[in-house]
Amino acid sequence: MKLSNMWRKPSRWAVFRIDDRPLLMVIGLIVGVCSGLAALALNRSLEAMFEWLHHYRHYWWAFILPGAGAALSSLFLDKVVKEGAGHGVPEVIYSVSRYGGLLRFRSAWSRLVSACLTIGSGGSAGPEAPVVMSGSAIGSNIARFFSLNDRQRVTIVGCGAAGAISSIFNAPIAGMVFTMEVVLGEWTARNIVPIAIASVAGTEVSRFLQGNQIAFSHPGFHIDLADIAACVGLAVVTAAASVLLTRALRSMHHVSARVPAAPWVRAMIGGCAVGLIGFALPVVMGEGYHSIREMITNTFEGGVVIAAAAVLAKVLATSLTLGWGGSGGIFAPCLVVGSLAGLAYHRFIALLMPSVDWVPEGCFALLGMAGLVSGILQAPLTGIFLIVEITGGYGVILPLILVSAISTTLCHYVEPASFYLKDLMDRGHLLRPGTDARVLSDLSVMELLETDCITVSPNMSLRDFIEVIKRSHRNHFPVEAEDAGEFVGMIQLHDIRPYLFDPVMYDAVILEQIMDPRPDVIHPNEDLLEVLQRMDAKRLFSMPVVADRRFLGMISKATLLDQYRKELRVQTVISG
Amino acid sequence: MEPKLFHIFRNTPLGRETLLQSVYFCKTMGAELEIYIPEYTKFLMYFENDVVQIDLDASYLTAPETARDHAAALAEAGKTRYGFLAPKHFTASTLPDIPTHFDFMCCPRSISDLSSKMGLGYIGPRVRRIVQSAQFPVLITSAAFKPWQSIAVFFGGSANAVKSLKLGLRLSRITGMPLRMYTQMENYSKADYQKVIADNGLEDAVANETAEWRFFETSDFGVNLYEVAHDALVILGAFGHGVIRDVLFGSKMEKIQSIMPNNLLIVGPKYAAIH
Amino acid sequence: MMKLELDVVARSLDVSSSTVQRWIRQGRIPIRRDGEICRFDQTAMDRWAQSHRLRFSPPEAPAVDQGVDAAPETLAAAMAAGGVFYGCEAETATDALAQAVDRMTFLPEARRRTLCEKLLERETLASTGVGKGVAIPHPRQPLAGCPESPVIATCFLKKPVDFKAVDDRPVFVMFILLSPTVKQHLHLLSRLSYCLRDAAFIDFLKTGPDLPSLLEKVSGFETRLESADSR
Repeated sequence: MKLSNMWRKPSRWAVFRIDDRPLLMVIGLIVGVCSGLAALALNRSLEAMFEWLHHYRHYWWAFILPGAGAALSSLFLDKVVKEGAGHGVPEVIYSVSRYGGLLRFRSAWSRLVSACLTIGSGGSAGPEAPVVMSGSAIGSNIARFFSLNDRQRVTIVGCGAAGAISSIFNAPIAGMVFTMEVVLGEWTARNIVPIAIASVAGTEVSRFLQGNQIAFSHPGFHIDLADIAACVGLAVVTAAASVLLTRALRSMHHVSARVPAAPWVRAMIGGCAVGLIGFALPVVMGEGYHSIREMITNTFEGGVVIAAAAVLAKVLATSLTLGWGGSGGIFAPCLVVGSLAGLAYHRFIALLMPSVDWVPEGCFALLGMAGLVSGILQAPLTGIFLIVEITGGYGVILPLILVSAISTTLCHYVEPASFYLKDLMDRGHLLRPGTDARVLSDLSVMELLETDCITVSPNMSLRDFIEVIKRSHRNHFPVEAEDAGEFVGMIQLHDIRPYLFDPVMYDAVILEQIMDPRPDVIHPNEDLLEVLQRMDAKRLFSMPVVADRRFLGMISKATLLDQYRKELRVQTVISG
Repeated sequence: MEPKLFHIFRNTPLGRETLLQSVYFCKTMGAELEIYIPEYTKFLMYFENDVVQIDLDASYLTAPETARDHAAALAEAGKTRYGFLAPKHFTASTLPDIPTHFDFMCCPRSISDLSSKMGLGYIGPRVRRIVQSAQFPVLITSAAFKPWQSIAVFFGGSANAVKSLKLGLRLSRITGMPLRMYTQMENYSKADYQKVIADNGLEDAVANETAEWRFFETSDFGVNLYEVAHDALVILGAFGHGVIRDVLFGSKMEKIQSIMPNNLLIVGPKYAAIH
Repeated sequence: MMKLELDVVARSLDVSSSTVQRWIRQGRIPIRRDGEICRFDQTAMDRWAQSHRLRFSPPEAPAVDQGVDAAPETLAAAMAAGGVFYGCEAETATDALAQAVDRMTFLPEARRRTLCEKLLERETLASTGVGKGVAIPHPRQPLAGCPESPVIATCFLKKPVDFKAVDDRPVFVMFILLSPTVKQHLHLLSRLSYCLRDAAFIDFLKTGPDLPSLLEKVSGFETRLESADSR
């Protein structure tokens, strides 16, 4: 190894050879700072864009602005960086579970630009998923630069995601928890430490450059028993809103896919529709943090009907933006829908029972946000910690936990897969660490191949074959044609047992007559999961592996169990 | 198992030439041809420590209804074993993952830019990225189908050159074609090169299995390249240096690919030699 | 820092080398790889193996192979060790066995008595007369520690006696088979029965041949058997 290249391979330095944890901490720090900066960049450019376009908002043609933004963002993703639309978080989870977190470098910035165009022009979407994608890609590429292995790279990808979330929300705990709960799906001490460091770094970057402000600070709330009881009702409302939003997004996607137009035209249509809704209810435009602030501080105008209509309008606008090809995340719309739902619920129960002295509506807006985030992501801890941190409201933690927990449970009942994981689960690509699917996807047919079978020729007599049986340890004998070596069939000892003890048959029978000419075979590229399903369906304990009509070996459940256990132990036990 | 060659089929006359080259390679090597007929202009290749997105030139999607028949007809005419690759996994709905466990991959000089750019001295950025990351050697074809009758290995003494020599020996053993070695003398003497060979235990192989080992002693490498047979498959190692290693290969490699129209089999830095 | 080839590491872990490659790439095992060479730290590796409850035994300390025994005893050698006795006069099978065991002077006195009991015990279970006038008496379990290598004592009877053999033919020759392990017992038994399947051999036995010509005949069978096995 050349000395000049040594600095790019720190995992080979003597210091880190035995224990790589300090190395991961250092790299986690770097990644946290970088992804924090990326998140900040998006935040700043969104503000700048908002300022710039503010002057045009009151013209009659302003509804075109979101359309143009969405079209530009779609064109940018499709033609310039050649990436698919969508927010990218499923892509990160997919790569983490299947390819050790390898992500393209272009993903580190492409989503930032496209999200900036979509949201800045007024599209209803959030900047968080794009920064998660960017942060993760930054982490992945830094890990690649330092030639880290898969396990280390996954941790560093988590660091990127955590740094980005921490920075954009000024919420370090939410960053950590989101990464563990949603991105990695595994809680290990080995991961937590570097990710915590990245969260701190990301938060510190944000605090250093734009001050330590709590996004939605609010006056203190005093919560009574009646309010807690009302929370159960709120949880039901938020769960319903979550399901509505998830379904709306998905069905909108199917609708738009049927429109025979270029992707950017579709994005344009969706964006313009959002613009039109925005004329009636401006609250739906953009990421909507401004209106959340109003709601939390109890200054939101309008009655219960307006609030309820705003919930539906925001859901519609979000699904129009994202479902028709705009680029952005689901986080911020969740918060807006949640707070609107909380508000509407509060006003409704206040109407119903005016005699009760309810807590101010800001509190319910806040709880509604937690309910929606937990419901959509099905990640209760993320919901709880995020809301506590962005509102500085530790005082409401009890109803917060209650709403989050109930909302998650109800949503899970209706929609078993969360918004991020739904596609992955449908395609069978969700491979969380330490699960059966993960172990089977890592093992390959070639790794389990048993090659100690003795091959026989179809012209062999049973008498000669008995000599072969004497020498073999196995019960399976592949039959190969003598000249071309092609696999023609299989002899299982238990199929021919009756003939073995009949000396009359010894010279009367050749193997071609007693072999199974069409056994079920496995191709070496097949997934083990499919192989096992076939074995189970046909009640087989072993199957021959054949490629190009050539016999390669056997796969048996006995060896599989052996390897499976080894693999599971290697994947799950945390070693020093 | 037979070695496998991965080929991305382009249903155009140019793509036909490339596929003919692959078919010839497979037939000579006894390899199996794995053809991918793209449905989207982009796909991902996950390598050991890298992921490469390949953005294909739009001409790869030409006439999808005839592509499969065309490819099958060419492969059958060449009497080679072939199969079609259907991606199993997708990173995003229009972004398939292509496996990377092949033994060889065939690329024209460019797969992501317009084919009109193609010419000597130009290798597209994606092809370069594949060479840099792949564990398999990459066959870069000449513009028109050209069967090769001998093997030429450029041996510069580096670790990659040793790997390409090993690959050349393997090809020569399988195909029975004569193997010639070429070395441009620079700061070292013949003995130094021979020592590298000896250190890698290749002395006997070089002595018995190569038809010739030419040392170019005059300084102009470009001029010397005329000595290499026109119908030779040129095998060489690609190894970039320093910061620009992702953009440019070594200077020798760049020189050869800008002067020689032959088929090139390029051994990247990640290639693990099979004995 | 240890250096080992990839497939050696794979064998030490009892997995395939593609599994080891994948584990290294995924960072699941404290090994790094340059091409075919694996480098690892012995203590780190031991700790890893222990914490995952896997076995890692590099070839420096190869696991002791118990599967392969020393070259199995040949029939001829066992017969030579056991010797041949002629003209045993007995009326019953019990008597014949007792007389034959008495002649096996290579065993200590006490041993011979227990052996005789064991042989009779085995006979009551089922006759060891395998037919065609041949019996292969043997104890049910190997005699502890004695003899050290398998022996076959061949004993020709002056007058054939009734052994309750499978074909009810009286027995004229006994091969008393003693071996220290069950495996050797089965091995010799299968070889002996291979010889006895040959009718010419039975006729040859009826002539009451002397030890050298018997051994020669048996060796002939054995070479044929071995060449068939290795084919």
